[in-house]
Amino acid sequence: MECNRYEQEKMELNELFLLDCSELRENLSCDFTGVALQQQIGIDVNWPFVCGNRNEKYKHLLVRYGKGIAGKVIASGSPMTINSFPENILGKTTDYPIMIAEKLISAYAVPLFWEGKPKGALLIGYRSKHNFTTEEINTVRDGAKKVEALLPSYFCSN
Amino acid sequence: MELKAFKYASNYIIQSQEEEIKRIALELHEGISQNLYSLSTGMEFLQSAMEDPALKQYANEMTELMKRTIQEVRLLSVELYPTTIDTLGLISAIKSYIKLFTSSFGIVVDLQTTGREMEISEGKSLAIFRSCQEALINIAKYADTSDAKLTILWGLNTLTIHIEDEGKGFELEEENSRNSFKGIAAMKQRMTNVGGECMLHSEIGRGTKVTLQLPVQD
Repeated sequence: MECNRYEQEKMELNELFLLDCSELRENLSCDFTGVALQQQIGIDVNWPFVCGNRNEKYKHLLVRYGKGIAGKVIASGSPMTINSFPENILGKTTDYPIMIAEKLISAYAVPLFWEGKPKGALLIGYRSKHNFTTEEINTVRDGAKKVEALLPSYFCSN
Repeated sequence: MELKAFKYASNYIIQSQEEEIKRIALELHEGISQNLYSLSTGMEFLQSAMEDPALKQYANEMTELMKRTIQEVRLLSVELYPTTIDTLGLISAIKSYIKLFTSSFGIVVDLQTTGREMEISEGKSLAIFRSCQEALINIAKYADTSDAKLTILWGLNTLTIHIEDEGKGFELEEENSRNSFKGIAAMKQRMTNVGGECMLHSEIGRGTKVTLQLPVQD
């Protein structure tokens, strides 16, 4: 009985994350939105919630801390922009798995903080070249605040 | 004669490069990693003797950072050179790489092995391993598929490996003329250098198949 309630709450929480992702995707008319979160045990990062995905590859991705767009955003605690992947990227193209898996050409990601530390990243992406406007950046930041509000429940229940 | 010299030179370059990569990987694993581990243990010891909570918290953060760095260095070392190739053999090294490949690119690889694994030289193992790595990375980059298949067949005298996908494929001649096959060319060179062969077959909409063949008995 207790177990069922726990599963129910977890499902509801997952739906809230996905709702935030899809709202953001709709508001910005972008191709992809995703939430990357550091695992409770260890430092690797996975993509538990995405919207606009082309395939199921994201389910298997386990990005190393400091690698890829999400890993770099979490390690630095600062936003990151890619306007025309793979031009002018830091490191190898294979260091950016979500960009390759989802065929993204441009992306903007912001850190998600929990207990004062960056524990995840919110990413929006386009499958074409894109210059991110201040308005779009602010929309993503607002979206990040909404996602951050769900993190205490996520990290305490997982 | 010139061709022989070219072959010798390319073999020498690949071999030197591999030796240097192995040296750096071992240095990272056995030198730097060990020192960091000693530092981390020392930090934990100091932390246990601290009474000031703020200082203790700070020391804890330092220890965590140290542990993270140790893990990073270890992964970097494995990424550079698969040490399991020396200790556990080619198949184990390929299995480990496939695990890393799936978590890096989200592509699930179906691995099938037939026959009894034979002992082969480090040079030959490394040529096969690097070629498999290259073929799989090409699938991740260009094939646009979520699945791949790697088949290893140990024959009496020959080791055959097929790396295939059912992705978008490409026009072999067209890509050849555009000279966009640097990775494939390197694979072919590696395999030729160890007395083997690398063959490629691709069809638009039907995927790509890379076949590696290596004589395993001299």
